[in-house]
Amino acid sequence: MTADQSPAAPAAGPILRLDDLGVVFTTQSGEVPAVSGVSLSVDPGETLALVGESGSGKSTVALAAMGLLAGNARATGSATVAGTEVIGAGETALAGLRGRTVSMVFQEPATALDPLTRVGKQIAEVLRNHRDISAKDAAAQAVELLRRVGIPEPDKRASAYPFQLSGGQRQRVVIAMAIANEPALLIADEPTTALDVTVQAEILDLLRRLAAETGTGVLLVTHNMGVVADFADRVAVMYHGEIVETGPVEDVLLRPSHEYTRRLLAAVPRLSVAGEDVPETAPAAASSAPAQAEPVVELDDVSVVFGRGRGAVRALDGVSLTVRHGETLGLVGESGSGKSTASRVALGLIRPTQGTVSLFGTDLARTRSRARRALRSGIGVVLQDPVASLDARMTVGECVAEPLRVHRRALSARDRQKRVAAVLDRVRLPRDVARRAPRELSGGQRQRVSLARALVLEPRLLVADEPTSALDVSVQEAVLDVISELQAELGFACLFVSHDLAVVQHFAQRVVVMRAGRVEEQGDTGTTLLRPETDYTRRLLAAVPVPDPVVQRSRRAERLTTLAAGRTEATA
Amino acid sequence: MSTPTYLIRRALQALAVILIVTIVVFALLHALPGGPARGILGPQATAQQIAAFDHEQGLDKPLPVQYLYYLGQLAHGDLGTSYTLNEPVSQLITERLPKTLLLTVLSAIAGLLLAVPLGMWQAVRRNKPVDYVITTLSFIAYSTPVYFLGLILVLVFSQALPWFPSQAPQGHTLGQVLSDPQGLVLPIAAGAASMVAVFSRYMRAATLENLSEDYVRTARAGGSRSRAILWRHVFRNSLTPVVAMLGYYVPVLFGGALVVEQLFNYPGMGLLFWTAAQSSDYPVLLGCVLIISVATVTGTLIADIVQRIIDPRVKAGRA
Amino acid sequence: MSTVIQPGRTPGTTTPAKSAAASGTRLAVRRFLRHRLAVVGLGVVVFFVLFCFAGPLVYSTDQTHTLLHQVNLAPSGTHWLGTDAVGHDELGRLMYGGKVSLIVGLAAGVLATVIGTLWGAAAGYAGGWIDAVMMRVVDAGIAIPALFILLVVSAITTPDLGGLVLILGFVSWLVPSRLVRAETLTLKNRDYILTLRAIGGTHARAITRHILPNSVSTIAVAATFQIADAILLVAYVSYLGLGVQPPATDWGGMLSVGLTAAYSGYWWLILPPGLAIILVVWAFNAIGDGLRDAFDVRGRG
Repeated sequence: MTADQSPAAPAAGPILRLDDLGVVFTTQSGEVPAVSGVSLSVDPGETLALVGESGSGKSTVALAAMGLLAGNARATGSATVAGTEVIGAGETALAGLRGRTVSMVFQEPATALDPLTRVGKQIAEVLRNHRDISAKDAAAQAVELLRRVGIPEPDKRASAYPFQLSGGQRQRVVIAMAIANEPALLIADEPTTALDVTVQAEILDLLRRLAAETGTGVLLVTHNMGVVADFADRVAVMYHGEIVETGPVEDVLLRPSHEYTRRLLAAVPRLSVAGEDVPETAPAAASSAPAQAEPVVELDDVSVVFGRGRGAVRALDGVSLTVRHGETLGLVGESGSGKSTASRVALGLIRPTQGTVSLFGTDLARTRSRARRALRSGIGVVLQDPVASLDARMTVGECVAEPLRVHRRALSARDRQKRVAAVLDRVRLPRDVARRAPRELSGGQRQRVSLARALVLEPRLLVADEPTSALDVSVQEAVLDVISELQAELGFACLFVSHDLAVVQHFAQRVVVMRAGRVEEQGDTGTTLLRPETDYTRRLLAAVPVPDPVVQRSRRAERLTTLAAGRTEATA
Repeated sequence: MSTPTYLIRRALQALAVILIVTIVVFALLHALPGGPARGILGPQATAQQIAAFDHEQGLDKPLPVQYLYYLGQLAHGDLGTSYTLNEPVSQLITERLPKTLLLTVLSAIAGLLLAVPLGMWQAVRRNKPVDYVITTLSFIAYSTPVYFLGLILVLVFSQALPWFPSQAPQGHTLGQVLSDPQGLVLPIAAGAASMVAVFSRYMRAATLENLSEDYVRTARAGGSRSRAILWRHVFRNSLTPVVAMLGYYVPVLFGGALVVEQLFNYPGMGLLFWTAAQSSDYPVLLGCVLIISVATVTGTLIADIVQRIIDPRVKAGRA
Repeated sequence: MSTVIQPGRTPGTTTPAKSAAASGTRLAVRRFLRHRLAVVGLGVVVFFVLFCFAGPLVYSTDQTHTLLHQVNLAPSGTHWLGTDAVGHDELGRLMYGGKVSLIVGLAAGVLATVIGTLWGAAAGYAGGWIDAVMMRVVDAGIAIPALFILLVVSAITTPDLGGLVLILGFVSWLVPSRLVRAETLTLKNRDYILTLRAIGGTHARAITRHILPNSVSTIAVAATFQIADAILLVAYVSYLGLGVQPPATDWGGMLSVGLTAAYSGYWWLILPPGLAIILVVWAFNAIGDGLRDAFDVRGRG
């Protein structure tokens, strides 16, 4: 409601300056320091990336700069936005600053918008918070903003509810709200983490263009080194609530000076690109099996339809794939591609509407339930969510022993404990975790417990559905290493579902690319992911940002040229 | 799902529920000692009289046949005849149902008008003294038997302080009832009390949940003030689940009306039901149960439709 | 990837892991104890249990014979809460009737929860048309207000205590069945159940080893609220003419009998039983509220 003050920051000096910022959370178990001694600055027109793993405190810093910390948090030190102190400021001062001088884009577009208010109205609200304009003018400007962030048919979309938009479009709406009053500083907290790679690339392009147009300074909070390489001018690395290294993006990503940064970068799986030096391919199949080893699981022309009538959704459409003894098959695709459904069909959790599934050479539909259960003792499963994968009411030992209780009922308690201890050794967990509760373990440890449970029966097939996508990169590396080592030792086949092309490239010998319920293409990882045959796979690969700012810059330019060419082709 | 498809499906579900209710009612009718004949002819009837009656009414036929016959009668709007009042049950109910609906709807409105702001106030002042006080009072209101509450209300606001009459307005038509608004105050207060308790709890929980949603943070990041966010966003989002709960509260409201009408001598269906129970007038009892169930199912249906209107996600099948 | 700091989960501040199961229980106990109203509620329940079951040992009264020489006496040194219309000491009667109210309420509440749990878990786990049919039955049950059924039953028969528990249990299992069904629906799609099913685990194992143990907190909370509701229903039962027969009584019966006396100014005949009902029902509700917070269970406001 302070309409006449100029929205722009004073030209001189940084737009955001943090000085010895500290944040302490008051919890049941006492005071927990989350951030301490953080000092940094963002100049107008500059993008500073704040990177770190989960728990490093990077999001807390972002929220502190907006004055949006939770009620149990206490901030010390100083955070100034355009010369105004944020720490300790009252609601009036903060409300005057937020949405006008500094704006924020959040991680989760699915929940960031009010589900019951039309998106145009939500954008108009931000406009009217700071400018004395009529509802009608605000609505018209909201449509204009939607056009600027690249929403097609903005006048129609303005009256849509958030649930009627895709994830990428919702994030564009959040961005429209953020830039509505042309702020001098934009804080983006993991803005693309919840999105598919192709959408991520589009959103990053949009943010870059908007920042360049208005000279807005950007504080980008992310865990993704590829995004950093793609977007940032400078980088600050956070570890345990402190900044360990700051510098220009080329220096930090290519010549890291701090030990932690080096470790972090080493753990990031890098997508090998054609034309680059010799690609580092996945280890050869464990048993160095001939290409035509016996199939372990086979989906033949499988279709899955959910629902009936007009509301029916075809989740899989004529999918055929085979996982052979000793090999790892990577199943990749964006959200909604049907990759998880396909893995669940292979597990027998979803019955195909059409087509056949053979497990260990036996058609699942033709077996009796007892025989089918026996067949399934040859399967091990690791799913995505480290929390939901283990029953919180059991100890780790009981979780791991469950398959033994199902299929080896004659086993004595002592033998069972021995087997559990042995398999915990294999996944490199100390034996005494068996007596602990899952909640006392970290995400990476829990996924290793899931793996131990999957391997306790020495299965012939391991189905891993995004087993590491909830984990930090350093933890991810350790879990993947354990899986490939054990595969070499035990020789099981692995169906590995992932959205991360770089991980699949390192981990799988063969890959199946899925799109909209169909198999787009499949082949050896080395060939398919380096020299893809279809446009879709090419676009998918081009959208993956690599954690090298120099390479990424040329990849981006190349990608945009290809896209532009495609567009002119289409319009011609 | 498109609106017509939804309505048809929902109506079919409601019909299935009512069909199950008729089975329960029919079973109750036959659970009577000596069967319906004993109930209708009274305890003095001889075995011969009962046999004659059973034959006349077709009660010696197999139960499924009788059930179908009963359904056939229902389809024609025939709920039987009251044997104490000697009037068709359907007519008795038609006269009294509107008055009961008036009482329950007014109680519900009064209850919601109090409960919704109270719940929001509690959520905003969470774990402050006012939250504890309202929570304690809510639980007390919920824990008080309606007949005890009604008695206290009469003792205080009619005997000690002569503000309101202790009797509800009499009269046959709605107009006559409404012409004495003073008389409606205490019955409505008694009927609304536990509703205030229950729904202020729901509203508090829903508001608290919404206050911690991401969209609140987004709105704050856009420079909106807490008060504006509360009324513009949180209020509407919290109301949706409360409306859904309203449907399930309809039977409780009718149960309350049963006691309130008896207590304040209000000539609605509850009182009719009560007197019928005292005189073992089974046709009236069973007819009332059936009609109350239909009213409840209709109430739930209306709540669903209202929810569909205020939450666009429900219509799209996304919530 | 969650980047917001989770208090207590920060690296370097991991809580020392002792006995796993105990720490979860201890946490729940601590959360419950912080809920002040719930602690007060627990105190109230303990007080009334002692009052009704141990009280008569200390304060012995004659509750069987009609004592016409001491009718409707006001509270005094000999009769702390006065006497009723047939000369029974009101304080002693409060203990005597409280036994019935508490026992019937507890039994009916537990019975309703057991029926509701079995029905809801079966419907939720089976899914499909079985679930649809079972839930329509629940809808039908909800559509007939409990008080109407009780009044119809009272017109047909006068049950004994066991019968009363059965009737109350059978009119109030619907809400817990809906809660447990909802819980089962979420649990059966948890990753650990999917994993178990994928490796060939049986339905029986999924239900007994995972779904029921994980529903325990929901069921416990539901049971607490259900007991509160049942005690309240017991109070209605005498009012509706279904209550226990004199000389036995319960708080609801005392209250109904006292209603007529209220206009004569015999306040000691209605206030004590009325307040006893309110306090006990309030207490169980407060406990349920505290348990829900302690277990972090959703459902019922």
